[in-house]
Amino acid sequence: MAGYRAEDDYDYLFKVVLIGDSGVGKSNLLSRFTRNEFSLESKSTIGVEFATRSLNVDGKVIKAQIWDTAGQERYRAITSAYYRGAVGALLVYDVTRHSTFENVERWLRELRDHTDPNIVVMLIGNKSDLRHLVAVSTEDGKSFAEKESLFFMETSALEATNVDNAFAEVLTQIYRIVSKKAMETGEDVGNSAVPSKGEKIDVSKDVSAVKKGGCCST
Amino acid sequence: MKSKSSNVNDTNHLNKEENKNQPKREISSPSTLDSRFNQILRNVQGVLDFVSSASDASCGKRSPTFGRSFSENDTGTSDHVQNPMEVEDPSRGKSNNGNVNKLKSSPSNIENTSKGAHKSPIGTRATDSARVTKFTKELSAPTVILERLRELAWSGVPPYMRPTVWRLLLGYAPPNSDRREGVLRRKRLEYFDCVAQFYDIPDTERSDDEINMLRQIAVDCPRTVPDVTFFQQVQVQKSLERILYTCVDDWSISDITPEKISDIEADCYWCLSKLLDGMQDHYTFAQPGIQRLVFKLKELVRRIDEPVSKHIEEQGLEFLQFAFCWFNCVLIREIPFHLVTRLWDTYLAEGDALPDFLVYIFASFLLTVRISLSSPV
Repeated sequence: MAGYRAEDDYDYLFKVVLIGDSGVGKSNLLSRFTRNEFSLESKSTIGVEFATRSLNVDGKVIKAQIWDTAGQERYRAITSAYYRGAVGALLVYDVTRHSTFENVERWLRELRDHTDPNIVVMLIGNKSDLRHLVAVSTEDGKSFAEKESLFFMETSALEATNVDNAFAEVLTQIYRIVSKKAMETGEDVGNSAVPSKGEKIDVSKDVSAVKKGGCCST
Repeated sequence: MKSKSSNVNDTNHLNKEENKNQPKREISSPSTLDSRFNQILRNVQGVLDFVSSASDASCGKRSPTFGRSFSENDTGTSDHVQNPMEVEDPSRGKSNNGNVNKLKSSPSNIENTSKGAHKSPIGTRATDSARVTKFTKELSAPTVILERLRELAWSGVPPYMRPTVWRLLLGYAPPNSDRREGVLRRKRLEYFDCVAQFYDIPDTERSDDEINMLRQIAVDCPRTVPDVTFFQQVQVQKSLERILYTCVDDWSISDITPEKISDIEADCYWCLSKLLDGMQDHYTFAQPGIQRLVFKLKELVRRIDEPVSKHIEEQGLEFLQFAFCWFNCVLIREIPFHLVTRLWDTYLAEGDALPDFLVYIFASFLLTVRISLSSPV
C-alpha cells in the first residue's frame, strides 16, 4: 500500500458515488481501487458502504471518499439520499448484460435529480475481461457517453484494467474545476479552497471545458 | 471468517478507529469473535435492564422472558462454539418465577468467557444436559406449550433440536403433536403447487416485473453467504431461487429434487413467510419499517449514552448509513456465521417483539465499541 498517506493529511476531499444496476461490479471496482482487492464471491451491498483513497494530482493530495451504493431496485428510495454533496459519480454497467446498459439512462436521470447538474460523471462499462460474452459494444458505450456529455471508460475490476485510470480521471476533472474556480475568485488554491468535511463543493461554474472530448482512449 | 475484513470500510468510523486503537486485536480469530459476541449479548441484558427500569418502553412487554440467562448453548454437538456464555443478571432475578436457576454464573465464568477460554467450566455440561432434558420434555408433550418453549429457546436451542423448535416458534408446525405431521405434509404440497403455478412456467407467461425479479434473484443467490460452502451447492442455490421467487410472488419446484430436500425447501418457504409476517413493512418500498427502527435506535442511544450519540453526530455519521444494513439483514453480516443460528434462537423466541428487540441488540453493539468510538481520533 505504498503511496498511501496518513488518514487526515490531504488538500481536498471529494465525495464520489458509485451507482448502477445490481451485480455490475461496483463494490469490486471500489475494493480494487482502494485496497487492490477483488473477490468473485462478494456479497451484495446493502444500503451504502464507504472507502477512501488519496491520490496526488498536480502535487496536491486529493482524498476521494467513495460511496458505494446498493444497486437493487428495492433500495432505490434510500440510496438516492446518499447522492447529496457528491461532486463525482461513476455510473457503472456490465458489458455482458445489456439490460444494465439500458438502465443507464434511468440512473443518470436519478443522479441529475439529486445532485448538482455539473457533477463530473463517468460512464463505466465493467467486466471488459469477459471478451467472449460482450453484449454492449465499446462503440455503443462511447456514443451514449458523448451524447450525454459523460466521460467513458471500459474497465475490468478482475484484471485491474483501467480502474485506477477511471477514478483518477474523475478526481482530476473535479480538481480542475475546483482549482480553476478558486483561481478565478483569487483564492490560493492550496489552502483556502480546501473544503471542510461534509461541505458541498460548488462545481456549477465553468465545467464546459472539461466535458468535451472525454477520455475513451481504450 | 473473512467477512469481517472484507467489509471493512476505510471511512467507517466504527471500524477505522477500532483498528487504529487496537491494532493488536485479532479481529478475525474465532475465539476473539466469540467472546466479543458474548460481550454484546451481555450488553443486551444491560440495555434491557436500563430500559425496563427507565420506563415501560415498547419492548418491555416480554420482559419476563429476559429473566433468563443468555447462554451459548453448546451441547457438545456443535463444533465451533466453545464458550458457553453464562450471564445471570441478579437484578433480573425478580422476574424469574424460580424456574431459571440452572445457570449459575459466577464472576469467574464471565471472566473465562470474555477471555475466550476454551475449556468449559465443569458445571456447564451438567447444565447443558439439564437443558436438553428440559427441551426434550417440552417437545414430547402432546401439546407443546409455546410460552415455555420460548423461555427455554431464548437462551439457546441445542443445535440438533433447532429444526423442530424453530418450526414451532414460528407458528408453522402446530403445537399439537397429533396434528403436526399432517399439517406439515399439507403445507408442503401447497408450496409445491405454488411452485408449479408461478415458478415452473415459461418466461412468456411472466410479467416484466416478474422477469426483472427473477433476474435480480439470479444475481443475488450466488452472493448469499458466499463464504459458507453450504449455500454454494447447486441444489441449495436452486432452492433459494425458488423460495425467493415464490415468496415475492407466490409460485415453484423441479422434479429432480430429492423428496427430503424439497420438504426442507417447502418448510423454509413457510418459515420465511411466517418470519416476514412480523415485519412486512421492513421490505416494502422505501422500507419504512426499517427506517422507523433506525430512528428508534438513534433515540435509544441518545438516551442511554449521550456522549456516543454526540460523537456520532459530530462525525457527520448518520445512523441510517450503518444501522440500515444491520436491520435489513438482522445482523447476519455483522457476526460470524456460525453464531447466527444461536442468535436466531433468541430472535425466534422473541416472536412478535423481534423488531423492537433488534433495536436493543444494536444499541448494545454500539455500547460494546463505545470506548473505541469515543476516543479522540
